[in-house]
Amino acid sequence: MTINFQQIYTQLRQIGANASAQKKTLEERRALALRLLNERAADLDALREKVETARAADASLRCALPLTEPLDFHAPPPAAPLTGVILAADGSQIVPSRHKAAQYSLINVGVIALQVDSAQAPEIFIESDLRYDDEDLPSESQIALRRDLAERRNLLEAAERYPGQKISLTDGQLELWGAGDDGEARREFEKSLQDYLRALQTFHQKEIVSAGYIDKPAASWLMRLLEVLTLSPDELPDLKNHHPLRGVSDVWLMGRSLGAGERSAVSAFQARSAEKYTGDIALHFFYINVGDARHPAIARVDIPRWVAQDAARLNQLHLALVTQSRLMGARPFPYLLHRAHEIAVVSQQETAQVDQLLELTLRQNNGELDEISGKQSAKELPKRK
Amino acid sequence: MPTYEIGRLLRAGTTGFVAGCAVSQFDAPTFGALVRAPLGGGYQVYGLIYDIHIEDDGLVRQLVTAGNISAEVMRDNRERRIVPVEMSVLTVGYEQNEQIFHLLPPRPPLSLDVIYSCDAAEVTRFASAGRFGYFRHILRAQDAPIGELLAAHLQQTGQTNPAWREAATREIITLLRDDYPALMGVLGALGDIA
Repeated sequence: MTINFQQIYTQLRQIGANASAQKKTLEERRALALRLLNERAADLDALREKVETARAADASLRCALPLTEPLDFHAPPPAAPLTGVILAADGSQIVPSRHKAAQYSLINVGVIALQVDSAQAPEIFIESDLRYDDEDLPSESQIALRRDLAERRNLLEAAERYPGQKISLTDGQLELWGAGDDGEARREFEKSLQDYLRALQTFHQKEIVSAGYIDKPAASWLMRLLEVLTLSPDELPDLKNHHPLRGVSDVWLMGRSLGAGERSAVSAFQARSAEKYTGDIALHFFYINVGDARHPAIARVDIPRWVAQDAARLNQLHLALVTQSRLMGARPFPYLLHRAHEIAVVSQQETAQVDQLLELTLRQNNGELDEISGKQSAKELPKRK
Repeated sequence: MPTYEIGRLLRAGTTGFVAGCAVSQFDAPTFGALVRAPLGGGYQVYGLIYDIHIEDDGLVRQLVTAGNISAEVMRDNRERRIVPVEMSVLTVGYEQNEQIFHLLPPRPPLSLDVIYSCDAAEVTRFASAGRFGYFRHILRAQDAPIGELLAAHLQQTGQTNPAWREAATREIITLLRDDYPALMGVLGALGDIA
């Protein structure tokens, strides 16, 4: 036990003393959010105009950009039967560690493909890419970029094995993340981004629906839009510090608005980082309640524009997510995404096995092997039960 | 009763071992079946399956609450997920240099050794060697349902050999003559296969 519980106890008392006042403030902000939504939900032209004005004042603005459906739009899952193939991919990695005897990276990607109503077991595809002799050891963010690209490539290869309609799911946002600050990392990101954009284009050309599923998302794109609405022209220069709805989340709002299995309006992203995604692959999103009315489970679903504009495919994606999530019972989440995670995840035990196998291979072949660091060695000491 | 590979060894001791197999291989192992683990050099260990269990995990627990489980999800969990069927086996003898002993083996099988079911000829050969010496291993087993295990073994082994079954029953009565409650339990189970 290393926590100073005396200090924690004092801090907990303070948290408890503030809780009631914080809740009251949050409720006032939530009431404001609901009022804004009710008053302005259908005023789409004015909403877009307001976003455009705000963006002109602050190009780094990140908020939802409404399209054709009102902000309070909600649609139940379509009645049309689900058809085709649903695929999901996830990736896991071992990042090189200078504390180990051999420094290497490993990217493990798992893809699972389920043919709807086939009564067949899903098919599983795994790619494990072990790299030892990278001249410059890749950073954690570089490994993450390679993993994201590998997920996309493996999804595509798996999808091409099947005829008919295909829906592909990945865990997390569709936008590639991880632009580094320094020159080398930024160059690596830009290169990966171009590969990633080409992959998204290929998905479009092959008519494979791609969707990024963000369970219980932290970002509040709609709330930021509502905050922008409260700005007077005089306040525009101070947009960055204008947060009258701080603490109110999109998840809370959607939990109130969406019934069981319903989806929200499709919006675009107003964000500088999303501007690289143009034309048919411009990024859009909607919220979905994969839970029920009493226990909503809200997720954000990122999709490219060509899917957003194709009502039939959008409906099939909506239905696929609801159907998949209901398979998981009381804690809804798309079953295949969970399975892809199960397939891809590299456990600590597996990492230790790869460590040993690589060290053995190097020893047997007269390779160079470092000493394990004292820090790593100390961490691996047996713990007291 | 042809011979099948029914799984591979997970863990072992002198008196018993546990084998695992994928659910897709689940047709072969049955309660009470005689199995063998060949270890090379004419040495193999024999055992009786006394328990077959299927471990759950968090996902399976969650899925059973969902109600409607599609055929695809069912097959995914049975055929694709790494959830082995585990078989607990009571060691009842071994074979060395083509001679069968109803004794505990000199050494147990090792991790991942292949476990085979015994075919009818192998069962007859094992059961007919000696004078039912392996029954004492069964009667001494702490965790096994002894009566049910003996009944299953006698049913499977004595199908084509009523004389063997009668002799085996007499031997059990002799061995349990001083333990009336145990004897009644075993005879009750044997009565159900008559």
